[in-house]
Amino acid sequence: MSTRHVSIVPGLAPAAVEYVRAREWRMACERQSGAGGRFCGLFAGRGPMGLQANCVFAHADQDHVVCASAPGGEIDTIVDLFAAAEWDEREAHDCYGLRFDGHEPLRSLIDHPAEPDAWTVPIHGHDAYRVAVGPIHAGVIESGHFLFAVVGERILHLDLRLFYKHRGLQIAAEGRSLAEGLRHVQRVCGACAVTNTVAYAQACESALGFTPDRQLRQARTLLLELERLYNHLNDISAICAGVGFAPGATAFAGFKERAQRLNQRLSGHRFLFDTVALGASTLRIGQADALAAREELAALHQEEGRVWRELQFAASLQDRLDGVGALTRADAERLGATGPVARATGLRHDTRSESPRLAYRSFTPATLLRATGDVSARLNVRQIELEQTFAILDQLLSSRVTPGGVKPGGAEPGDFKPGDAALTGLGVARVESPRGETVCVVKTDRRAVERLHLRTGSYANWPVLVCATRDNLLPDFPLINKSFELCYACVDR
Amino acid sequence: MSGATVAAGAVQLVGGVLLGPAIVGLIQQVKARLQGRCGPSVLQPYRELRRLWGKSGVAPEPRTLIYTLAPAVAAACTGLALLLLPIADLAPEWGLGHDALVLVGLLALARFALALAAWDTAGAFGLMGSARDLMLSVFVEGLLLLVLLLFALPPGSTDLLSMSHAATLPEVWEKPAHWVAMIGLCLVVLAEIGRQPVDNPDTHLELTMIHEGPLLEYAGRELVYLQWSAAARHWIMLVLACELAFPHPGSFAAQIGVLTGGVLALSVALAVCETVQAKMGVLRVPLLLGSGAALCLLGLASWLAVGGGG
Repeated sequence: MSTRHVSIVPGLAPAAVEYVRAREWRMACERQSGAGGRFCGLFAGRGPMGLQANCVFAHADQDHVVCASAPGGEIDTIVDLFAAAEWDEREAHDCYGLRFDGHEPLRSLIDHPAEPDAWTVPIHGHDAYRVAVGPIHAGVIESGHFLFAVVGERILHLDLRLFYKHRGLQIAAEGRSLAEGLRHVQRVCGACAVTNTVAYAQACESALGFTPDRQLRQARTLLLELERLYNHLNDISAICAGVGFAPGATAFAGFKERAQRLNQRLSGHRFLFDTVALGASTLRIGQADALAAREELAALHQEEGRVWRELQFAASLQDRLDGVGALTRADAERLGATGPVARATGLRHDTRSESPRLAYRSFTPATLLRATGDVSARLNVRQIELEQTFAILDQLLSSRVTPGGVKPGGAEPGDFKPGDAALTGLGVARVESPRGETVCVVKTDRRAVERLHLRTGSYANWPVLVCATRDNLLPDFPLINKSFELCYACVDR
Repeated sequence: MSGATVAAGAVQLVGGVLLGPAIVGLIQQVKARLQGRCGPSVLQPYRELRRLWGKSGVAPEPRTLIYTLAPAVAAACTGLALLLLPIADLAPEWGLGHDALVLVGLLALARFALALAAWDTAGAFGLMGSARDLMLSVFVEGLLLLVLLLFALPPGSTDLLSMSHAATLPEVWEKPAHWVAMIGLCLVVLAEIGRQPVDNPDTHLELTMIHEGPLLEYAGRELVYLQWSAAARHWIMLVLACELAFPHPGSFAAQIGVLTGGVLALSVALAVCETVQAKMGVLRVPLLLGSGAALCLLGLASWLAVGGGG
């Protein structure tokens, strides 16, 4: 067992990597969680000794990665310790053939066998029946198959089958330069483009031992919040549309359009594509443009607030939201829920409050007075976060935005040499997307990508949706789904 | 048969067959305007029907005659129901009579044919939609009968012509029973033609569908029959509401004017209602219809208490 341990600024230190033998794997993971570590994803890889299992844990001061070689292609499961590892283990099995001893049954996730028993939870009882929806939908929705087990109108269980358009982007990036890797990550998802690329860039910079300067932190935070702005506006519109409440849906769709036009003006792209670079930022917003953007945001904020207050008094809308798709705090914690979904249950975690590589100063996660964990709570959390986003954007745009870069730092001097071509490292970055925490792990090998793993907020929350759906009415499912508003592309990476 | 009766028959046929889609189109257009969109033209439903008419049909396997005949049965029931409607207190005698209960029966038969077809092919969405439709119809039909009963009290007959004629008499408006029946009728209209808050006709979300669900399996001309039936149902319910509830004294021409104005006003009202109201939870709808029924029973009690019959 060897541990590399370097730390000066909490959160700025590169991840601590712990190599363990296969039989110590479970214990090492248990020890991490015993020391206050939060499970942030598991992924397989290929090492010199064959298959490898890696598990990321977030601690208050530093991220830890536990790595174990599994020469026989088999390793102990940790799904009984961390329920959130369910999808990760199934994916590792499907993509790498890594078997998890004790994970029974290990149903396929990315692989799509024809036999329903191979991927669904069995349902017994003579009144139960199944309703299949998708993968082709009537609306403009990505491909996903939902198989409901139902009694009457009540949902017993939901089996999800996603990964219809898995592109193998992570594998395709292997062996490429770090800059090319960024382009691969850029293509993962349109609505989370900034989050994913910032996470990747930070992971690379962390692996190489760089920290962003003030300008780079400002630019990236600005882009992240612009992304959150249009996504949250869109999600509120989607919830209104889910119950057929046209005035709310149209008003918020209009706000989203205005936010995207602002994106276009500030960055040249409505979805903020290609705005993030490795170790640098080229975003430039002059004094006059920043002032104009602030004025537009202030106007948007005011109108959004007015419509939001009207939604509060729309009884027919509010009536549909309470108690629907409720998720308990215990379930959210157990399943590793993240983002607005988790905060709606009263969990007080937001990666923005622990992001020294970004310009979130004294950030406090959104909290609800009544954290009921239902659709209504998820809607309200988004509104609180919109208020925060407007405030952060206003503050960030109070000075002009100039190109930024990175400086050496974050580890003890002498531990690394910036620009050293032979440097091999492992970087972990966690960034809060509009849908929750996105974790990116990059193993670098001579400035090339050796292994890339992206675990987005959507990936963490899809299994949570299944839990929130249980015991609800079938016609309420579209509403519950929209209150999560998860990406399909984000898991089809 | 007088000239006015012939004219009434012409309105029955022409209006019923041709104007249903225009009402649907008008509601869509007003809704779009209220939401700040341009929206499709009022004629869009006609274009849809023409497009579908030119398409070949696709039928699921396995199926039986029940599935094949259902659209024709539904369209025939709706077509017959058109002939029962009084226009300006008049209607030619088509050999069906003009009994309100026959109208209720025909509407139920159309619904039943579609439910059987959904059962026949056993598609999940069709069965789900028609199961909800049948569950709601228990309440909708009960409320419709109660409402019709209240309107039948003044003339002492369930003949639609007498009921319509009774509504022209000014003393009807002094009775609370009439006002209560109008409220009940509004709920029935919403539920019967599948409008928000009961059902959302514009949704693409199969899991939330009620009336649209059983239609999903159909294509081509069979779908035209069903779409037309749904549109004609709008005409039937709106004309019924105007004839039974709106005051319409005066000459035949004036009555036609009142009817036109009434149908237009109700279409706009439906659009407004659909815009400001979100769709209800499906299990809340019986509660809404139940409270309508309770109100109607109160109306009945008030009629008996004030001795309306005497």
